[in-house]
Amino acid sequence: MATSLASSQAAQGKPSRRLRVLKSLFERRSAAFGTTVVLFFLLVALLGPLLAPYGANEQILSEARQPPSLQRPFGTDHIGRDVFSRVVLGARDIFVLAGVGTLLAVVAGTIIGLLASYLGGLTEELTFRFFDSVLAMPALLFALLLMGTFGPSRGNVLIVITVAYIPIVARVVRSVVLPVKTKDYVAAARMQGEPITRIIFREILPSVLPALAVESALRFSYAIFLVASLGFLGAGVQPPNPDWGLMISEARTFVSLTPWSLYFPAAAISLLVISVNLMADGLKSVLQGQA
Amino acid sequence: MPTPYARASQEAPPVTPSFLARVLRSAGPVTVILAVASLFMGTAAVAQVGTLRVAIEPPVQLDPAFASSDSEIAVLNSVYDYLIDIDAQNDIQPRLASDWTVSDDGLRYTFRLAEGVTFHDGSALRAQDVVWTFDRLRDPSLELPTSDLYANIADITTSGELEVTFTLHQTNPFFLYDLSDNHALIVKAGTADAGTNFNGTGPFRVDDYRVGTRMSLSANESYFIDGKPGVENLELIFFSDQVAAVDAIRGGQVDLVLRMPTPLFLTLQAEPGIEAVSVPTNAFDLVRLRADRPPGDDPRVQQALKLLTDRDAIIEAVTLGLGAPGKHSPIGPLYSQYFAEELEVPEPDVEQARQLLAEAGYEDGLELELHTPDTGDRPTLAVVLKDQWARGGVDIEVIVQPESVYYSDGGWLDVGLGITGWGSRPIPQYFLDVMVACDAVWNEAHWCDEEVDRLIEVAGTTLDDEARAEAYLEIQRILLERGPLIIPYFFPQFGAIRETFENFELKAFPGRSDLAAIQVR
Amino acid sequence: MIENLSVAYDQGGHLQTVLRDIDLTIEPGQAYGLVGESGSGKSTLALAAMRSLSGSGRIGGGSIELAGVNLLDLDPEEMRLLWRSRIKLVPQDAGSSLNPRLKVGRQIAEGLDLVGRQRQASVHELLGRVGLADPLRVANSYPHQLSGGMQQRVMIAMALGGTPELLILDEPTTNLDVTTEATILDLVKDLLRERNTAVLYVSHSLGVVAQLCDRVAVLYAGELVEDATVEGLYNTPLHPYTRGLLDSVPQIGKDRRREELRPVTGSIPEPGALPAGCVFAPRCPLANDFTRENRPQLESAGLSRRVRCHRWQEVAEGAVSPRQPGRDAVHAGTAVMDRAGELVLEVSELEKRFPLRRGLGELIAGRPAAAVSAVAGVDLSIRRRRTLGLVGESGSGKSTLARCIIGLITPTGGSMKLLDIPLQPRLSQRGEKVLRRLQMVFQNADEALNPYLTVGASLRRPLERLAGASSADLGERLAALLEAVRLSTDYADRYPSELSGGEKQRVAIARAFASEPDLLLFDESVSGLDVSVQASILNLLSGLQLERESAYLFISHDLAVVGYLADEIAVIYRGQLMETGPTDAVFEPPYHPYTEALLSAIPLLDPTVRKERIRLRGENGAPAGSSTDAPGGCPFHTRCPRFLGAICVNEDPPWQEHESGKRIYCHIPLAELELMQERPVASSSRSGTELDD
Repeated sequence: MATSLASSQAAQGKPSRRLRVLKSLFERRSAAFGTTVVLFFLLVALLGPLLAPYGANEQILSEARQPPSLQRPFGTDHIGRDVFSRVVLGARDIFVLAGVGTLLAVVAGTIIGLLASYLGGLTEELTFRFFDSVLAMPALLFALLLMGTFGPSRGNVLIVITVAYIPIVARVVRSVVLPVKTKDYVAAARMQGEPITRIIFREILPSVLPALAVESALRFSYAIFLVASLGFLGAGVQPPNPDWGLMISEARTFVSLTPWSLYFPAAAISLLVISVNLMADGLKSVLQGQA
Repeated sequence: MPTPYARASQEAPPVTPSFLARVLRSAGPVTVILAVASLFMGTAAVAQVGTLRVAIEPPVQLDPAFASSDSEIAVLNSVYDYLIDIDAQNDIQPRLASDWTVSDDGLRYTFRLAEGVTFHDGSALRAQDVVWTFDRLRDPSLELPTSDLYANIADITTSGELEVTFTLHQTNPFFLYDLSDNHALIVKAGTADAGTNFNGTGPFRVDDYRVGTRMSLSANESYFIDGKPGVENLELIFFSDQVAAVDAIRGGQVDLVLRMPTPLFLTLQAEPGIEAVSVPTNAFDLVRLRADRPPGDDPRVQQALKLLTDRDAIIEAVTLGLGAPGKHSPIGPLYSQYFAEELEVPEPDVEQARQLLAEAGYEDGLELELHTPDTGDRPTLAVVLKDQWARGGVDIEVIVQPESVYYSDGGWLDVGLGITGWGSRPIPQYFLDVMVACDAVWNEAHWCDEEVDRLIEVAGTTLDDEARAEAYLEIQRILLERGPLIIPYFFPQFGAIRETFENFELKAFPGRSDLAAIQVR
Repeated sequence: MIENLSVAYDQGGHLQTVLRDIDLTIEPGQAYGLVGESGSGKSTLALAAMRSLSGSGRIGGGSIELAGVNLLDLDPEEMRLLWRSRIKLVPQDAGSSLNPRLKVGRQIAEGLDLVGRQRQASVHELLGRVGLADPLRVANSYPHQLSGGMQQRVMIAMALGGTPELLILDEPTTNLDVTTEATILDLVKDLLRERNTAVLYVSHSLGVVAQLCDRVAVLYAGELVEDATVEGLYNTPLHPYTRGLLDSVPQIGKDRRREELRPVTGSIPEPGALPAGCVFAPRCPLANDFTRENRPQLESAGLSRRVRCHRWQEVAEGAVSPRQPGRDAVHAGTAVMDRAGELVLEVSELEKRFPLRRGLGELIAGRPAAAVSAVAGVDLSIRRRRTLGLVGESGSGKSTLARCIIGLITPTGGSMKLLDIPLQPRLSQRGEKVLRRLQMVFQNADEALNPYLTVGASLRRPLERLAGASSADLGERLAALLEAVRLSTDYADRYPSELSGGEKQRVAIARAFASEPDLLLFDESVSGLDVSVQASILNLLSGLQLERESAYLFISHDLAVVGYLADEIAVIYRGQLMETGPTDAVFEPPYHPYTEALLSAIPLLDPTVRKERIRLRGENGAPAGSSTDAPGGCPFHTRCPRFLGAICVNEDPPWQEHESGKRIYCHIPLAELELMQERPVASSSRSGTELDD
């Protein structure tokens, strides 16, 4: 491990590093597929309104319950909304909620994880015992509990993802910090009288980053799933937002009348979650395999 | 709000607290003689064969005094009996009471009980059991949901083993309907654990109850109505998900589903071997704006929202064309003798609505939160309204909440703009008394129109049916013209039964459907 | 046995040759040493000799014969049989070679062809043979229940199991304490004596090989450069590389004032970037145009002696010296060194007790924890321009002591003064002025530098923070700092992973010197390095001390290394000083019995001096009898070879002053000690005491 770290860190900071990671990522077939799909969805999310021929809640009753066709590639739902437009516009929702939620969790989890495990002692003990107790509950259950308490809204979905994933991220961070914090270069920094913030962020954080990159991707895929699950259970984003989970929930009773309004958002979720996972897997083997 | 709302079935706001405060000034002699014999036609005891498996939602609790949801009533209606029952046409029918008389002053109702009725523990039904049951239901100190409903009862007495007399404080033309209330199942006198011992007189005995999973019942062979029950075993299987229940009947794991959403009904209609049935009801979804605070306190805003609502499109989109058109009043076409057939809902007029809004000071548009429970077609209605009202510059944010949450702690009475599902009732006066009248307990719109209030008073007290019809007509005219209530449709109830069974009649309140009548074909 | 062997590693498609044309013959009963710096290919050769190279290794050509059978012709099944009985390997890290989930007795038994009771007896016999006192208990232990030395003995027992014809030992004592190493070496020696096994002993330690082996092969960059009997090689090395290695080893009695180390400069070339001519030419003091362009052959240089050098004859005749050039600066500074300056550090009664870990409940209840004493009342003082050497085995508390001084660990008692000003125990309480005066260099070069920061970034920070360098002269001072540790300025842009171990340690030293500290602590700072690198670092430290006039606290388990650099030496055992005094005095009798054992354990470079040794019972980490707290009386009594009796157990020994200026913490009167003990180095006829049980 020590040698693998050392050599993978050789290129750290050089401008080509990110490109090299990306290149290695694309050399693996499944990771290349995953990354491409994720980037594709990201593009869809960014360009959403330009790609969608109809509004998310635009109802043309006379065209309700139409099967997929050239004009309506994904068909229309029971109240005449264009399923394709809704899936396209929903991509942004997923990326904003799952993405920002994950980002917040990663940032907060990293800071807490770094601080608590660097300080050690009672701080670390209490923090992680508390996190352990939070983790004893499945994320979805935890999320439903919070949503039930604070009421369903986009902001709360964001908070829920953040709160649910902070302990997980913090634990990953801790697993890297514990061996690193006893390294001599950290002691050397302390002997230079460096402030704790600098020791944590400059000396320790870089070692955490590879593990964090993989964990972030993984968290992101779980967050997508969580957002969709909350939407499906009616505890997340509110109708008529084109949230994929909500779309599935709405379309569920129509499964025999307008199956397309169920299948397309379901396929979008599956594809994105699988792709993010493939990407995370690839990232993991690239970052570890640079040894 | 007492607890029943938290568990209320989707179309069943709980019992009526106040409309029985109405006074009947004069009471002509009302004698109902019942063609009891008709029930006993073809009485040759049919051997009970087969097992009927029914998909219902898991009951929360099974004390008749508290039960309210369809599934709870379905269980209890199989285990216990009502004194008076209601049929699919909303007409009064005898059950444990084989006949009855009403005194000339309309204050004394005397019921004769059917003979040879026994509880499942073998003891005979006595008049004292009826007295005990209703004394319990009306005891104010117990704070049961029915205490208001039966507050008008002055006294209940017995004369002999099988005769019971109710004495009222004031006359009540709807008293027989009140006695048929969902909670009024006859329990053996002195029963302390009514929720768990299941000692009823009804057509089925409880053999095994697995909370949350299923209940197994078998035919009560000494049931007092010949020919019932029709099946030897009744299996009530609990599904918390209606989609799963429908899947189960398609797959043959259950024989009967008592309730389902519209698209699933359409699906089952095409399914061979399954009879999908629907029954028109007076159940409706009410969209109401609170009239006691801005912006709903401005009649122009109330009017604008009505003009923006495209009722026909809603019926098509939300009820998939199966709903009966509503005219913004709770009196629906089911009450054919009162329904104002000739009134027309104005065509939607976005321009005029915009103008009204502008006059009210909302030329730049209006932002509103629309609260709705998560059951039935209500979320869809909300989403469709969002699109329709957006055309007039009204931007609504839909907030969907679990039904149990929405109806608890009075939140549904509090919100500015909300959708409420109202269950079907046998008489229209109920809705007017509990929802429209100025002092109604559930006047959720917080709207008070003196003219409407006066008309409700008239309709609820007069014994002149013509005068009542006239009052109802005027109320419908006014509610169409003004006020913050939007009632776009009355929805039917849907059920489905496998064709291997017959004699299933779905009632407007599905839980009251008579499972004992069903037989193997 | 091995002929024309070449081995390559498959590195992502292309083969990287790491061993070329190796010829080596080991006779039965012969112990063959294989020495070389890391990267020379000696471990690869050991693995190739038993055909168990890792996945990417490929044997390119040649043959490996075991008693006439070419191993390269055997199929995997036959190889397995061979490994089971005829060739055995004792690896460097016994801890990771043993299966942690199986009792060691079972693991040994698996290698035997016997069954049942006989097998049991055989296991116990093997364990007894490798000097384990209680074979029954050891056989029933899991590996983690055994100390490092015991694990290594178990490995050796396993290897002896099949009565192998060839036993390969790959650095078997590298991770062990000197005293433990000495007992293991004795064991191997005894085993050799009683069996007819051929042994290939791979080691970086010239001393160990000198003491153990009959012949030595020196490996350099994948080539055999010299092959001779130990006497021949050590007395008259022909290859300049051999000469350089020998000159790199510090020896007792040869400190920097008398004789400087002359290590081989530079470093081993990468397998992919070999010079065109002699592979050693870039580092060779005798290199000329001819040797740089022509590759030398392994030539016979007399009776059973081979050397791969164009100029070996000139060396043999004494016409040229194969030694590396010396640096006169060292000698010029001698005078300065003798003038000790003011007192820089004064430590008195320093004590550190580590609480044992408590559960959360105990933590909250504030229950006091049981404690282990790591440093038990130590007094030290160091003067400017002087070096205090601190010697002890692992677990002796020497690192804890250093970390208490530097502030990384808060002591539980005692006081410290820096330049006569009381030193705050906590790092956070010390101002920058204190921090800059006191710096430390750690043992592990790989961990000393942040792998994510360039050398420049790591060095700029202390310059800015502690040395007050302005941004204007930062570049200049950085260059000066690199220059001081003999690194070129372009190192500033490199990452640690691009540096060799020695270079990393130089950067770490540069970082410590950045603030121009008054006191520098070196905690085993040269221990992990190859001898030539170690020697050049020692020279560097010596030079820097002259230039900068700092005081050093130099900590090592290796008395010879400490002796080279230190003016004074303190010997520590289980947190208690055993002996202190001027270097020369410490190396002369009377010794503290512990010092005596340490000195005796040093493997001497001279193969002709094969002295009897003082051996310690038990192991330092796990002294018999006591667990958490040091026993009363002398902490060394549990292992002392000159144990007197109850007095050692019950009473604290007195500090005895000797006329040479040293002090000894022992009950035995100095005169008595002096009578019993002998000088270890100077003369060659030795008799000693075997005190081991």
